[in-house]
Amino acid sequence: MITATTVIRVGTAAASGVGVTRAELRVGDTPDGEVITIPVAIVRGAGEGPVLWLHGCVHGDEYCGAFIIHELLRTVEPARLAGVVVALPILNITASHRGQRMSPFATFGHGDLNRCFPGTPDGAFTDQMAHAIYGELRRWADYFIDFHTALTPDTRWALFANAPGEVGRKAEGMARAFGLKSTLPAPMEILGGSAMMAAAHDGIPSLIVEMGGIGPAFERETVLEGAERLRNVMRHLRMLPEKPTEHGPLTYFSNFAWVNATRGGLFEPAVRCGQRVDKGTLLGRYMSAHGDVLEEVASLHAGIVLAMHPGPTMATGDVLVHIGLDPRET
Amino acid sequence: MATLRIGTAVLDGVGIARGYLKIGEMPDGRLMQIPVLLGRGAPPGPTLWLHGCVHGNEACGAFVVHRLFRGLDPAALSGTLVALPILNITAFRARQRMSPFEGYAGGDLNRCFPGKVDGTLTEQMAHAIYTELRAHADYFVDLHTAMTADVRWALFANAPAEVGRKAESMARAFGFTSTLPAPMDILAGSAMMTAASDGIPSLIVEAGGKGPAFTAALVAEVVERLQNVMRHVGMLPGPVTEHGPLTYFSNFAWVRAVRGGLFQRAVRCGERLKIGTVLGHYYDLWGQPTGEALSPHAGIVLAINPGPVMTSGETLVHIGLDPREV
Repeated sequence: MITATTVIRVGTAAASGVGVTRAELRVGDTPDGEVITIPVAIVRGAGEGPVLWLHGCVHGDEYCGAFIIHELLRTVEPARLAGVVVALPILNITASHRGQRMSPFATFGHGDLNRCFPGTPDGAFTDQMAHAIYGELRRWADYFIDFHTALTPDTRWALFANAPGEVGRKAEGMARAFGLKSTLPAPMEILGGSAMMAAAHDGIPSLIVEMGGIGPAFERETVLEGAERLRNVMRHLRMLPEKPTEHGPLTYFSNFAWVNATRGGLFEPAVRCGQRVDKGTLLGRYMSAHGDVLEEVASLHAGIVLAMHPGPTMATGDVLVHIGLDPRET
Repeated sequence: MATLRIGTAVLDGVGIARGYLKIGEMPDGRLMQIPVLLGRGAPPGPTLWLHGCVHGNEACGAFVVHRLFRGLDPAALSGTLVALPILNITAFRARQRMSPFEGYAGGDLNRCFPGKVDGTLTEQMAHAIYTELRAHADYFVDLHTAMTADVRWALFANAPAEVGRKAESMARAFGFTSTLPAPMDILAGSAMMTAASDGIPSLIVEAGGKGPAFTAALVAEVVERLQNVMRHVGMLPGPVTEHGPLTYFSNFAWVRAVRGGLFQRAVRCGERLKIGTVLGHYYDLWGQPTGEALSPHAGIVLAINPGPVMTSGETLVHIGLDPREV
């Protein structure tokens, strides 16, 4: 754990006293030689405590995370804080500029930043970006939360790295304090290259939150709810003085099924997030350009809908549905 | 009964027909073609022309046409319905406003009518479509989508005399409260203004949001309103619903953002604005407030940018000016 005399240096930031430091971290260069930097905010509290590391926009179009982190930064009072919040609200900034998942500078595969951690200093564009970020995360973070956004405004689920021993137990503690009903204790062999799994392997308890929708599905209510749940994790970690809210039992899964569409067309979904589906439950309908129903698509799995493609159009290979498998209340 | 032929869609009598209209060719030599739906009833009546997705990412219109046809009974229809649900098909595929094959400026199809037989791709598309529209349409409704799910407004070409009066009556039968009698000098190159100049009463409907802001409930609502227009022009039986007074405007102001940043809107569609009303808040990369966007006009919000990010030059807000109940 850091002490009062530790100077926390991340990018251009050198945070040495109580208060907020805003700075930038270089993650690459543009083709015209400009430096690509991402925002870093460090909030040091008056009390001693852990370093909570926050990521948003690892996928550039998932803006809810940036706004949740910003909402926290605007409301946290350093005098009441024990420990340190290090926030990188917009990781994949060139993708964010374009409103797309991956950077326009990413070539030759390797474009999904959340599959590139811990990164390499001389890899592809996104590998180098991951390396610049992850070196700092590994050095400073005691706990890590990565904020994602899915397709529709009603998306509400979380997953923690179910690592052996204390690392997994602490991550589970964060997930319970965050308290989204649908929660996956993620087996350690999935999501290779994610910041969550890379950090968990390095002994850092780690959580991914999936809240809200992309583009015009963005809602302010999601931001306020996410920030309040984040504050509750900080209460649980004794970084904020109040008693944490108990969210009650969660629904755990054994894993998730990520189902890609095997056909395209105009698409009308038939289910919502949080809904229980059986094998054979109607998920939606494909229609031709003339409006004729081409096919009804049924669920291949039983479970709970974690994320659903909202349509109104689908190309083959789009993520059709994300299903939490073997739900059980715990 | 005369043969009705638009592209490969052919109807010899009463019924429904489907086909394609060629609007261009792809770089691999395949046809660029768009879906056509025809419906014709036995009693004589006008030809109503509908089209959607003149902008490729405005999908609401396509779904409205599809739903209307799924519920269409030719035995109950007087006259002819011609619908092109997806005009800008290559833009629709790419989920963007303009065609990815349009290499030069001029890619906004709704600024290219009546088109040009040997112009740019989009001008050739407009020509292929408009030639058929002018040959067949007695009435024309163009279905658009704006940015957020709460968008509900319409505009008709306020042409002189009967053409304008008929368009106004379509707007009243459609019945969105916010309606602009569009002065004939705006929106040059739109299908609506081109058709009105050729004597065809014309209406644009702006309903719903793009991408994940799309809702099936809105599709159902617009279909019901369109059916009311069809009752009004004598194509469907049954009483015409009276929607009551509308709010008319003198014009609209299309306000663009002069700065960029993270953005959260503070107003909703249909809300009344004064000069200086806060439209939204800008934030920097660290979440600090960096300023407010203020309304430069009084009026009613027709469409507002939902954020959460803004680039300078994006459409910030669309305002109906000088609202008056009529």
